[in-house]
Amino acid sequence: MRIGLLTEGGYPYVSGDAGLWCDRLVRGLGQHEFGVYALGRSERQEAAGQVALPPQVTRVRTAPLWTAEDDGVVHGRRARRRFTEHYGALVSVLCEGAPTGAGTDRSGSQADRFGNALYGLAELARDEGGLVGALRSEGAVRALERACRAPGAAGTAREARVPDLLAVAAHLERALRPLSLDWYEDDGGDGLGSVDLCHAASGGAAALPGLLARHFFGVPLLVTEYGVRLRTHYLGAGGGTAVASGAASTSDAVSGPASGPTSRRVPGPVAVPEGAPAVRSLLAAFHGRLAAEVYRQAACVTPGNAHARRWQERCGADPAKLRTVHPGMDAARFAEVGDSPDAADPRTLVWVGRVEPAKDLVSLLHAFTEIRKEESGTRLRIFGAAAGAEGEAYLGHCRMLAAQLFPDEAAGPHSVGDNPVSFEEIGGPEVPGLAEAYAAGAVVVLSSVVEGFPVGLVEAMFCGRATVSTDVGAVVEVIGGTGLVVPPRNPRALAEACVALLRDPGRRARLGAAARARALELFTVEQNIAAFHGIYLEIVSRSPVRRGVLDAAGEPRPFAVPAEAWLPGRWTGLGGRATPRHPSTWTAGPPVRGTAAARGSVGAPGPPSPRTSTPATTPAGASAAGPVVASEGAR
Amino acid sequence: MSGLGELDRPATPASPGARDERSGGWLVSEDTVPSAGAGSDSDGPAVPIPAERPASASGVRPYPAAGPAAPRRGGAVDPVKALMHRHRELCERAVDPLEIAAGLEAHGVTDRTAARFRHRDVFSLAEEMYARVPRDGDTPPRPESAPAPRARLDWALLTLLPGALTAATVVGLRLTHGQARVLAVAAGVLAVTLALRAALRRGPLSRRRLPSGPRGGSHPGRHHTGGWTCWLLAYAALGDGLLRAAADGGPDGLPTGTPDGPWPLATAPLLTLALACVPAAWCAHLLAVRARRRLDTSRGLDEFAASVRPLLLSVFALFLCALAVLTGVCAAVLGEPAAYAGTLGLGALLLLSRLLTVHGFTHAPAVVLRAAGGAEAIALATLLAGRLPRCGFLAAPVDALMAAWGPAGVPALACGAAALTLLIHATRTLTRASAHARTDQPC
Repeated sequence: MRIGLLTEGGYPYVSGDAGLWCDRLVRGLGQHEFGVYALGRSERQEAAGQVALPPQVTRVRTAPLWTAEDDGVVHGRRARRRFTEHYGALVSVLCEGAPTGAGTDRSGSQADRFGNALYGLAELARDEGGLVGALRSEGAVRALERACRAPGAAGTAREARVPDLLAVAAHLERALRPLSLDWYEDDGGDGLGSVDLCHAASGGAAALPGLLARHFFGVPLLVTEYGVRLRTHYLGAGGGTAVASGAASTSDAVSGPASGPTSRRVPGPVAVPEGAPAVRSLLAAFHGRLAAEVYRQAACVTPGNAHARRWQERCGADPAKLRTVHPGMDAARFAEVGDSPDAADPRTLVWVGRVEPAKDLVSLLHAFTEIRKEESGTRLRIFGAAAGAEGEAYLGHCRMLAAQLFPDEAAGPHSVGDNPVSFEEIGGPEVPGLAEAYAAGAVVVLSSVVEGFPVGLVEAMFCGRATVSTDVGAVVEVIGGTGLVVPPRNPRALAEACVALLRDPGRRARLGAAARARALELFTVEQNIAAFHGIYLEIVSRSPVRRGVLDAAGEPRPFAVPAEAWLPGRWTGLGGRATPRHPSTWTAGPPVRGTAAARGSVGAPGPPSPRTSTPATTPAGASAAGPVVASEGAR
Repeated sequence: MSGLGELDRPATPASPGARDERSGGWLVSEDTVPSAGAGSDSDGPAVPIPAERPASASGVRPYPAAGPAAPRRGGAVDPVKALMHRHRELCERAVDPLEIAAGLEAHGVTDRTAARFRHRDVFSLAEEMYARVPRDGDTPPRPESAPAPRARLDWALLTLLPGALTAATVVGLRLTHGQARVLAVAAGVLAVTLALRAALRRGPLSRRRLPSGPRGGSHPGRHHTGGWTCWLLAYAALGDGLLRAAADGGPDGLPTGTPDGPWPLATAPLLTLALACVPAAWCAHLLAVRARRRLDTSRGLDEFAASVRPLLLSVFALFLCALAVLTGVCAAVLGEPAAYAGTLGLGALLLLSRLLTVHGFTHAPAVVLRAAGGAEAIALATLLAGRLPRCGFLAAPVDALMAAWGPAGVPALACGAAALTLLIHATRTLTRASAHARTDQPC
């Protein structure tokens, strides 16, 4: 099976985010053939080079999003009219305001109009070229102005002035650049028409080529969103300061909270400047519509956690298409610590993470005063480096607070004292790695007020630690019942939970073992890959390969596929002929990591109807691993 | 939630009390009506805290910190209002409920928090907040538009450079003889060329970087006009002399660099045009600044076009006036006859083509410059070709033109017509808003 992996500013580039996840996916599913279609985000990223790709990646096509080559095509009168018509339809939908509720008639027709206009522009770009120039032209601005002044336009759109129109037009030009790519040729080649399945590694611009491939060639689209792109757009539009931490849901790629600046989330590709309300509302409408169209056309959408899932449902995704696939993390690093008996000091609390204000260490320190009132002799070890200048300042503040709250203590009158709260960095002689940091404590504490997918918590679970965490982000979903959860910003509750665990070694052990079992079940790389394997097979089994059948000489055979092939229902008359002689190797079983065994021969597609062979191809075992974990603990 | 989780939840602290003493005190008198929420459960009693989550509103808060408001237990305070006050900036600038939802979540508001405001999730809470933001019709103050380009010393000085160097070259031309004169002229031409390049590289006469960024060099729409510009300038200096000499049967020798040789050299137009870099740059700057201001104030594209057209024409007229003054002064200083028509036509043509190029329209200037240069070349060629046997008719139009207006009529006609064409083109293209869009905005 050929999978077109669509990324934006991500995978094959060294500095891309979510690169680790894509790399694991590609390497883990060696039985498939991958084509990577990457949209570059910046010149610097492109200059930094690409990662080494495994052999199953047979083709890599990249296109820069940060620049647009005007191909010099000047539209004639007819093409101009076509452009104006489609562009006008597109912006008139935007001017009617953001999508209200999914499901209503009005929103359905709006979605249709948006989709038609988008595909109309894409067809224009494919037929005539010159879309970049047209999107920059005065005609585009005029169409935008007409749409804003039209009777049905929303109030904010009607207030748009000339600079706003120009800003919106420029942004749309940028956002629609994937329409002008040369990935949509008819002749197969290595364009998107030659893949069996498009897997977009994020929403937004990366999913746009997938939408077009679906429109032009009927290639099914799978969208994986670990952080909802629309939400990122809103937060980016807010020009926010503390928002990046909230959007850090792409944390599957993060190898650890202390892994340095490379794991910081890069701001989205479409950093919207602080603009007038008209600009922001039109752009928000565009991104909302685009997200809705992606969700509408995708065969399957896989959010990374329940939070992303809720956003997607809110944006109009059909709940039947949603499969939560939790990000996978490498459990091998923590295997030794997790399997060995608890050798930690039973009176030590551990906090691991990147120090920043959203982690609310102050609350943790206040809770620790309460804990020491109950259990004197308890120690708190804080592992982690500061992130950015803000983090540095916050770390300094926390050190000062710790020094004020807790005087140094010594064992006896003749020994040197030490503060019960220690700030340490991972990588020193005492704590060489992340696993050792978690192993150092009897209880691992998470005190954040804002959190996306709590990587540190999962790591602690892998290490078999009992945890106390605040009820933020996806914490409840991740922890299930295997740790204590307290409200955020509540030091007393945090302290009581910690004291309860410190006093009860048996309960700690039980919780730790349960947490480790849960993490191994849900958050390993293997489950992630197996889930995607199953989803791939399921999607392909539902979407037959719509490609002409070739005869022995390689010439296309017309009428080899009867018209009935496109009808739903059982295609009985031709069953014997359509069944593959050899069951394809890629349906054989769950993925085995590292084996490149017998890749499916996909160059010459077999009989084009998997429908008759559905029992053979439906991956009952494989797909069951994916979606079962969806909403446990999410209440 | 599995049973184990419920078991392991910490015991509810026994003293549920006001968590945040600062919140709400000033709110008591303001709005005692329960929120007319957009959520599904807005018709409940006015008790803000659902009973099943006492733990979240409990506990002592030993330090102040900003964050989602915990509603007070007790008094009939509208909890959403307090929350809206906390996030009033977010609410005021939000363009749709989802933006509020995203902002709330970034500040740590979860569905559990939203439950305290009697909402099912953050989205419905955000919808209520969005619906309750007062929008009394008056538009919020517009964000400060980016400052208009300021006049800067570097380009202001650089535009002086070509004129000064040309003047120096002319002086050198007058003072030297023979070999030294050739060297002086060569050095002067080189220096002036470099100075012109530098002057056109920055300031209002510089080409804007297209959004395609550093790859703009391979931009297919880029047309090279340098060669034709040089030809037009060379013609301004030598063309009239050559035309006159050719009409008289010459030229009998190469130009000697003096205005009174067999092939006279006119330095006044060159000096005028070099000095005109200064008014050209200031006019372009004026146009950019004024157009930017109109851009920010106009409501529609047509309004903008209508307001920019007179601006463009007046800037153009201003430049022509400056050029005319410069022509007269230079001619007087150099003691040459003032060729107003030719110099004004060429100056206008060069200014307009530069303005169009600066604003991204490269095609028309290239074509028009080519046409003007071609017309001058053809005039010369037909005059010379008329000497061939039986080709005398070829020289007839130019002869007639020279009889009417003298040799200066050829460049005046060619450049004037070209400039007029470009002016008409500019009134249509430079009045578009997209021509004045800021390319530096990170769209």
